[in-house]
Amino acid sequence: MFRKLGLLARLAALRPRFAAGYIIVTAIALLAIAAPWIAPYSPTEADSVSFLQPPSAAHLFGTDNVGMDIFSRAIYAPRIDLTIAILGTLLSALVGGTIGALVGFYSTGRGIRVWLSFAVMRAADVLQAFPVFVFAIALVASLGQSIQTVVLAIAFVNAPIYLRLMRSQVLSIRSMRYVEASQVNGLSDLRTIVRHVVPNAMAPVLAQLSVNVGWGILLTAALSFVGAGVRAPTPEWGSMIAMGFQNVVTGQWWPSMFPGAMLAITVFGFSLVGSSIEVLADPAKRRQLLAEARERSESRRARREAV
Amino acid sequence: MSDKFTRIAIGTTRRRFLQGSAALGGAAMFSSMGRVGDALAQDANTTLVIAAPATPQGLDIEFDVSLGSIDSLGALYEYMLGYEKIADPNSPDAMREDTSVHADKPNGLALRGRLAEKWEVSPDGRKATFKLREGVVSNWGNTFTSKDVKWTWDRKFNLKGQGLFQTAVLGLKSPDQVKVEGDYAISFNLDQPNPILLKQQCNLANPIYDATKCSEVGGSDDPWAVNFLKNDSAGFGPYRLAQLVRGQQAVFEARDDYWDEKPFMKRVIMREVPQSASRFSLLQGGAVDIAQFLQPRELEALKTQPGVAVDAVNASYMIWLELNAKIAPFDNVDVRRAVNLAIPRDEIIRTIYYGYADEQKAPMPYIYPMANESFFNYAYDLAKAKEMLAKAGVTGPLSTTLSYNAGDPTQEPIALLIQTSLKQIGIELTLEKLPAGVFYENVTKRAKPMIFYLDSPWTPDPGYSTYLYFNSESYVNYSNYNNPEVDRTITEGLATLDDSVRMEKYAAVQKTLMDEAPWGFIAYPKYTLARKAGLKGYTYYSSNNLRFQDFSRG
Repeated sequence: MFRKLGLLARLAALRPRFAAGYIIVTAIALLAIAAPWIAPYSPTEADSVSFLQPPSAAHLFGTDNVGMDIFSRAIYAPRIDLTIAILGTLLSALVGGTIGALVGFYSTGRGIRVWLSFAVMRAADVLQAFPVFVFAIALVASLGQSIQTVVLAIAFVNAPIYLRLMRSQVLSIRSMRYVEASQVNGLSDLRTIVRHVVPNAMAPVLAQLSVNVGWGILLTAALSFVGAGVRAPTPEWGSMIAMGFQNVVTGQWWPSMFPGAMLAITVFGFSLVGSSIEVLADPAKRRQLLAEARERSESRRARREAV
Repeated sequence: MSDKFTRIAIGTTRRRFLQGSAALGGAAMFSSMGRVGDALAQDANTTLVIAAPATPQGLDIEFDVSLGSIDSLGALYEYMLGYEKIADPNSPDAMREDTSVHADKPNGLALRGRLAEKWEVSPDGRKATFKLREGVVSNWGNTFTSKDVKWTWDRKFNLKGQGLFQTAVLGLKSPDQVKVEGDYAISFNLDQPNPILLKQQCNLANPIYDATKCSEVGGSDDPWAVNFLKNDSAGFGPYRLAQLVRGQQAVFEARDDYWDEKPFMKRVIMREVPQSASRFSLLQGGAVDIAQFLQPRELEALKTQPGVAVDAVNASYMIWLELNAKIAPFDNVDVRRAVNLAIPRDEIIRTIYYGYADEQKAPMPYIYPMANESFFNYAYDLAKAKEMLAKAGVTGPLSTTLSYNAGDPTQEPIALLIQTSLKQIGIELTLEKLPAGVFYENVTKRAKPMIFYLDSPWTPDPGYSTYLYFNSESYVNYSNYNNPEVDRTITEGLATLDDSVRMEKYAAVQKTLMDEAPWGFIAYPKYTLARKAGLKGYTYYSSNNLRFQDFSRG
């Protein structure tokens, strides 16, 4: 246990940006969980007596133009933003990954399956040709404004990414000897894909998940900013920025600045976590990193012994 | 406008705009350079630059009443009559139309002749004859005659756009009721007396067109010049359109051959600046003379800025909630009353409008004659609101949806205050933010239980206002209110000339409307204008538009 913790500490010292990512994400998650206990005010009730109050001891981040406490709303917001982004990303990975695995497995050879694979890839091309944000707005506009719709929109715009990732991995794995061996042993295609192909193709997908959660948060905030996302007064960073940004010009910077800063830090945190997963999930890069950590640890021990 | 004309106009305007901008600073610094500097300074002095939320989408009032369009109309077109102007009692630098009842004046109105030099209403109130002004020419050089007035009203009957409402409210059933009585005389012949016959001649929605030009450009394919008037003008107003690039700018040039006093501002540039924060910054930095439709907190910030002035006058604007009488729970009058008792008007005016509004206490603009605020019985009282809900038979929590316009930045915070307040009496509101286009579609479809609306009736008359919003036949009756007695009294008042009788009738109408609360009454926002301090002459019109010819520098 202590050895593992020591290794983690060495990894953190070696790549401090990875550590920063995990700290940010953990802190935001903890804030979201603890929000009902630490928020000093209701995040959804207006108080016209104290509107547009600057940051103070009573209101750490100040109040907005209807008197809602910015700090309370800002720490409640990740409950919505994270939930939407994580659900949307998982859904897109599930759908995109599954289709990608099937398409990759049946991309070569002849017959209807090949044609279907080709058709699916061209459909993905068409989907990806649209600007993501415009496409998401169109989806929300046609399906109606709700949290579920935003989740679906995120899933829909991200699914082609996982489809391509999984397909490219499966294309290289399906010709491996162990895959051929499993088929020779009589395993069905489905079993081969589930047992031998997908587990070995997951590394880049896992790395992409974290990056996409960050993008999902950004997309949720952007949709809410233009009024197509979460409904007021639900605390959400994008809608908070939208409500406050016009005040900046008259000197009230706090209604949009604090949620904006939290949004930026969170997306940055997820991006760093994504980078770390990319390294840790790749066996070669992981070995190199661990070797570097051990080497540094041994040289430190050697220096101590010499002293 | 042809492409060639547009290209020439753009080139000229850009050059002159740059000259004007340079002149602002340059002429002051290098005035000793002599006549060139003087000329440039003069050019800038007589150029009015406006930062507007939008350029005109169309210039034909039959089909377009958007913000940029209505500001253009008063400059491009002339009207038969106008109101006398008086100083605004609340804003020392502003003037306003005198729309009140004057028992000592003919027809009880303070009117002045514009295209009509003299006018006479028959004793039975069914016929009005206008003697028209001679020697007036249009921006195309055609002489004004009675033929132009006749063509204008025939166009309303034929196009069936908003002009149809104008004919209906006057009781005109056929184009034949507008008769040419000579080259310079025309009459309106009604089946019933109508007290707003003269007022309608001042209404911004009734500009007089140059029939000769319109017939010439329209030909047989487009006899009412719809395509032409959408993009250009043919009128007798003080300005002509020099350029219109939608989404960028509209440029107006003063006419030397205008019949009345020549405008001080020889050129008006209306630039589209959609964000109010950007308009605020442009005025603050001195780049524009007027920043239109700023947010109340921006106006408040500008009040202390040197070189900038803010006019705020009582206006015909009203903002209210349409409580749809055909959709539960607002089909119950006591629920509507409860909502009215729980609207925190004072908080809304203080927090959202920063005092640039007053509480709405009548179902028509409070600045109009015969508006009666004494029937307002909805002072903020949550205990009474709960009693009213109990009376309505509401025992548990009540849920409904409040829809609002994403394009109006004041509506969301107002909705949040109302939501918080209604929660305290057991009404859970779900807020629904609708994009501007979808919002208006939903208002007209009358499919939402509770939706915001901001509007103003342009004719300062209780009959016109109440007919517009509460007559069961009116297309603007978006709350689906239906009371045959109210319908009957409104219509009777529109056929009564005696102002004391009208006052009684419209008092009764307002009393019933207040009691039955088809609206959630909110506020009367003021008309505000943020301008350079040296700009003089702002005048308020009940159609809430600017007329560029009013402005000068002093």
